[in-house]
Amino acid sequence: MRSPAVLILSVLAGLLPPPEAGAAPVDFESEIRPLFEKKCISCHGPEKQKSGYRLDVREVALTGGESHAPNVVAGEPDRSPLLRFVTSTESDERMPPKGERLTAAEVERLRSWISEGAKWPDTASVKLEAPSKWWSLQPLARPAVPRVGLANPVDAFVLERLQREGLKPSAPADAQTLCRRVYFDLIGLPPTPEELDAFVADRAPDALERLVDKLLESPRYGERWARHWLDVVHYGDTHGYDKDKMRMNAYPYRDYVIRAFNTDKPYSRFIKEQIAGDLLFPGTSDGIEALGFLSAGPWDYIGHSEVPETKTDGKIARHLDRDDMVSNTMGSFCATTIHCAQCHNHKFDPITQEDYYSLQAVFAAIDRTEKKYFEDPEQTKQYGVLEGALGKVKGSEAELVKQTEKQAGEGLVEIDKQLKEARKISDPGGTPEQGFHSAISPVQDAVKWVQIDLGKSIALIELLVAGCHDNFNSIGAGFGFPVRYRIEASNDPMFQQDVSLVADRTNADQPNPGTSAQRFKLGTTSVRYLRFTATKLAPRKDDYILALAEIEARSADGKNAALGAAVTSLDSTEAGVRWARKNLTDGIYPGHLKSAANVAELEKRRTELLREKASPEAMERLKTVRAERTALEKKMQGFPKPKVAFVGAIHNGSGNFKGTGAEGGKPRPIFLLARGQVTQPGREVGPGALAALDFKPARFELPAEAPEAARRAALAEWVADPNNPLTWRTMANRVWQYHFGQGLSETPGDFGRNGSKPSHPELLDWLASEFRDNGGSVKKLHRRIMLSDTYRQSSTSYAGAAAVDGSNRLLWRQNRRKLEAEALRDAILQASGRLDLTMGGAGWQDFVVEQPAHSPHYRYDLSDPLDKGTFRRSVYRFIVRSQTQPWMTSLDCADPSMRVDRRNESLSPLQALALLNNGFLLAQARELAKRAEGEAPDMNRRVERAFRLALSRSASPAELEALTAYASDNGLANTCRLILNLNEFTFVD
Amino acid sequence: MNTSPFHSETGLPLLSRRDFLWQSGGGLGGVALASMFSAEGKATAAERTGSPFPKAKRVVQFFMAGAASHIDLFDFKPELVRMDGKPSDFGEPVEAFQNGLGPWLKPVWDFKPYGASGKMLSEPVSALGGVVDDISFIHNMVSKSGVHSAATLLQATGFLIPGFPGAGCWMSYGLGSLNQNLPTFVVLPDHRGFGSNGIKNWDSAFLPAQHSGTIIYPGTDSPIADLFPHKSGDYVRGGGEAAAHRTLAQLNRMHAAVRDGDDRLDSRIRSYELAAKMQMTAPEALDLKAEPEHALKLYGLERGPQTWSKEINDEEESFYFAQKCLTARRLLERGVRFVQVWSGNDNGFPRRNWDSHEDIRRDHGPLSTGMARGCAAFIKDLKQRGLLEDTIVLWTTEFGRMPSSQGGKGRDHNPFVFTNWLCGGGIRGGVTHGESDQWGYKPLDRKNPTQVYDVHATMLHLLGLDHTKLTYRHNGIDRRLTDVHGSVLDQLLA
Repeated sequence: MRSPAVLILSVLAGLLPPPEAGAAPVDFESEIRPLFEKKCISCHGPEKQKSGYRLDVREVALTGGESHAPNVVAGEPDRSPLLRFVTSTESDERMPPKGERLTAAEVERLRSWISEGAKWPDTASVKLEAPSKWWSLQPLARPAVPRVGLANPVDAFVLERLQREGLKPSAPADAQTLCRRVYFDLIGLPPTPEELDAFVADRAPDALERLVDKLLESPRYGERWARHWLDVVHYGDTHGYDKDKMRMNAYPYRDYVIRAFNTDKPYSRFIKEQIAGDLLFPGTSDGIEALGFLSAGPWDYIGHSEVPETKTDGKIARHLDRDDMVSNTMGSFCATTIHCAQCHNHKFDPITQEDYYSLQAVFAAIDRTEKKYFEDPEQTKQYGVLEGALGKVKGSEAELVKQTEKQAGEGLVEIDKQLKEARKISDPGGTPEQGFHSAISPVQDAVKWVQIDLGKSIALIELLVAGCHDNFNSIGAGFGFPVRYRIEASNDPMFQQDVSLVADRTNADQPNPGTSAQRFKLGTTSVRYLRFTATKLAPRKDDYILALAEIEARSADGKNAALGAAVTSLDSTEAGVRWARKNLTDGIYPGHLKSAANVAELEKRRTELLREKASPEAMERLKTVRAERTALEKKMQGFPKPKVAFVGAIHNGSGNFKGTGAEGGKPRPIFLLARGQVTQPGREVGPGALAALDFKPARFELPAEAPEAARRAALAEWVADPNNPLTWRTMANRVWQYHFGQGLSETPGDFGRNGSKPSHPELLDWLASEFRDNGGSVKKLHRRIMLSDTYRQSSTSYAGAAAVDGSNRLLWRQNRRKLEAEALRDAILQASGRLDLTMGGAGWQDFVVEQPAHSPHYRYDLSDPLDKGTFRRSVYRFIVRSQTQPWMTSLDCADPSMRVDRRNESLSPLQALALLNNGFLLAQARELAKRAEGEAPDMNRRVERAFRLALSRSASPAELEALTAYASDNGLANTCRLILNLNEFTFVD
Repeated sequence: MNTSPFHSETGLPLLSRRDFLWQSGGGLGGVALASMFSAEGKATAAERTGSPFPKAKRVVQFFMAGAASHIDLFDFKPELVRMDGKPSDFGEPVEAFQNGLGPWLKPVWDFKPYGASGKMLSEPVSALGGVVDDISFIHNMVSKSGVHSAATLLQATGFLIPGFPGAGCWMSYGLGSLNQNLPTFVVLPDHRGFGSNGIKNWDSAFLPAQHSGTIIYPGTDSPIADLFPHKSGDYVRGGGEAAAHRTLAQLNRMHAAVRDGDDRLDSRIRSYELAAKMQMTAPEALDLKAEPEHALKLYGLERGPQTWSKEINDEEESFYFAQKCLTARRLLERGVRFVQVWSGNDNGFPRRNWDSHEDIRRDHGPLSTGMARGCAAFIKDLKQRGLLEDTIVLWTTEFGRMPSSQGGKGRDHNPFVFTNWLCGGGIRGGVTHGESDQWGYKPLDRKNPTQVYDVHATMLHLLGLDHTKLTYRHNGIDRRLTDVHGSVLDQLLA
């Protein structure tokens, strides 16, 4: 017998001879299976499938193994990675990675088993259910309605199931309860007392139907239901991550969603516009604004703007960016947990890693960017053509520049190095010290001044004022140079007396001088102080400033008396080294004489060198291309001011964040990443969707010349296909959820094996078919659901059913629902009479932004609760990701950093404090009190009125007694605060 | 009247309130009383490690936002001193965040040995010398990203993207609360504002909201949001609050009386009672003036706030950091489970965080002096009160800084290696786990670095939780704080 050590060595060397003739063949059942169970199954079995591998299922064991697959090569132990792992001593390879190794004898039996053909009897394998048998992947067909004597199909499905379980439905809710429920469900606001009275008085059999129809026609309906959709797609108005910059142009997407619900846009079109509206519905505003879906989620701005795609961190940022788009698309529309297939095949659902990366390939050309468009679709089209052409021209220009520079050789490299140095001095873009920057003004005609103290009175002959160069909003040279200004000199620091005017440019707008220094002659009197006053500020993006790089004051001897002089100003943005008062007299500014001359000289030499060394053809082409670029840019300047939306689209950028614009929108190559690591790319994959579904080819065959949008269009068609089994079920379930508080499937974002199976699969399929076959009308779906008796049931619990089905999955009653943060807030504003129903446009902000230039701080505590701008509906709130609105957050508002298919619902002391003490609530309670005072003559009736305004119904005598007793001691405002804190105000029966 | 045959089926009596009490949830979301500041955690016996007496009950995490330099504080590299000023050469191409690959730069301060362990500490963190034998250092931490936001999320939540619960949320979820009147997880942000990602580093994401970190600003007029009425509610009088609560409860009970079987209604009534208790408890917990003089002296807080210079300075940093440390101790003492203390604002200018691209001495000097004084006082204080033995102290940051210089005096990001340290709560003091290479550029043993998952796994282990079993299903995955990684760092266990 061999010693174990020798045995292991020989296995390692692959020298072990085949089993001796006559040795008993290995029995899988009694020898190998127990071995797997003892050593492997805990990580590669039913519980876990590390690397997607499991040793309890024959097919997977024999064919799987990710990059090593197949792990077992029948008959060839030396080519079977499995054997290598169990014998390896390498820490990153050995199996099991920890604990006891296989004994030599066990290894030998394993080896023999493989040699003998890895025989694995059928009976010894766990059977995996065929993936396509899963309920949500079945073709969608309309089930027969159960015959239980009910006309309404929804009720028939529900009753049939209740009967099977021996349960009975609840009585219908009374008119008052039903009315409040319907209002909140459809428009997210309570009925006014008058609306409630009217409905209660309406005895006609179609009273509910007419109410539902009326509310579906209200613009408030779209606002209510858009908010649900915005939860799902994780819409926000800032990027999130580090520095959390504002997205001033995200709102067109929010308004698009509101419009889509209000106009009952067919669902398939709603899908297609959001994925590929630009290509499928060219020339429409909706087709562009809808693309805000792709960019709705958080975005690592720094990972893009400061790190190029060539670096690992840049690659990770862009990979995660696409991951968000893929997850948003498949989660929102198809209730698929696609993100689980990023590192390995999905462990529970038939989704391969290739599917995942095929979906990434769909979005491979786009980034989150601002897209310009016009009211007139023809202009949008033309502008788009120009943008595309410009992108291409810029691409060829860059290519030619690269080519000619290469031809110019080392000499050019040297000149460029010197140029860079010289420019560093002359261009504050190259040095950190930019200049002086006033505080930002919201208006252009604010007067701002900056002044210099020369330390003593000096006779000056000339002043020089130099502009800045900052690329903020592509402004560049002359950044912050005011449109109108005057310069004065004095010996009085307050400039009250003895003031001489050096220059007055306040009567007419001045052309921006860029960075070319402005010179002004002075008289002969000696002065100590110089003051520069702007009377019309320089425009930035949406605001106005004064910025100057340098002021020089030359005395008769030619010296700059201002160098290092003290600077004061009305206000200043002190932003580190870049912007500071002292930068105004630091001798650093663009076009600084000496270095500017140097730059000019070097540029001249550069041009000569290129002329000499580069091929004349290339230089000629470069000239042509540059002329084309100028011509294109000029044409684009001729357009009116475009509208702007933040969307998923081709980005035409520069620096670290180039996008694909310069490449004409060519998609980036997408590789299957081993373990999801950007450092481990495998083979390249093309665009596609889920291969396990066969209603349509899941790998998109597109002509090579197809634009990138064709990939998105193919996905849009795939998702919106009437035969896609997931799409219609997903939306029908979502709509149901918002009417009952829980979906027929309780996991609206996961119809896979880890999700919840529907409580009423036939009902869900019936609703989904109905929805699909009725033109994808969401409004019709609402009617179907809300006009059922199932919906109208009382929400009160009863004993027998609660014992059997406590969570009401079987729908033996309606569910009492807790109002979402938005509905609660809007209801408060409606009660107080302060709700402003203005629709659309930029989001209202209930915070003050500090330090907007770098990392904005969103200070909610500094906002005024009585700011009328904040009285609009909550759906129009400007949504910050890094600092979510604390009060709304305490009320379980959706987190804009993640897709929210269903909101959490919590109750806590912190929530109670938020409702008792927050400025918004306290201010509105007082407004409600004021309103009640205006509408009723005495305290008792005021309390009664306030109660009705808040809860729609009249207070009972007992309620009124308690409230008026409290009011007599504590006043009406306190009583209103109390009413708004009632359980009844927060819950809807 | 509705005459549908659907409803004609109805007829069973309502369930009595008492009969219903055994039912949990009563419907949506299952929000039960037990989930508010609950003494019961989610973790069942199966999810615990099996140890009936976990070593630790509480955690305090110190987070240095902006990336603190291991090289200049805790991880002494004589080789760098020797090679100072020579062109850096890493023996391989390096992708630095801002290409800060200037000459080697020696630590900007001198190091000296401290304690019985002889651990080398640099001058600004020398205050930790007195407790260094209680501390265990990990010098081979690695990150997966060199971008602040993603790397901060990784250390705080275990994931590179937002949308995952902070470590404190998981502990609240797993273990529940040790008190009735204060939140389970408290965050003490830098007094100047949030670091990268803001609240995404500590909010509950998909876990129930009561596990979110509650922000407290010690020493301010309004340390906890909405604890007391906002000024726009000047009509609210303290004297009327009892009546308000009484009336509210009375009306809510009337409302609930005809709505059997929904314990959310009771829970909400109870939440107002707890809120009133919290109004009593929190101000007391946050009142540092209640501390005896010797305690204030220990933390260097005896003089109170001063007028500080505009430039970043030692005294101001020390004051604010110590204020948070003392607050943390008072909260832990009163049963808060997890306190997260932040040092460093966002990555703006002028630098008020650890992201010293320009000048290590200028920013790291005051920040680390303040941090070390505060941490040292905190550890001593816990020790003398007997709290250190069941409180885990973790010091972390999102990544380290390069051994090469940037612009002469600064250092670029180093996600390839950095330092964490732990003490208390079952951690063995005076040991070092894992080393960095001679430069402090990468782990010495590149194949076996330590990751945040290991630190989190160890922490959970000491709290009596198995990190692979503390899960929450979200979007198709049973999510864990440690994703699919992590092993307990046995060497660190006492």
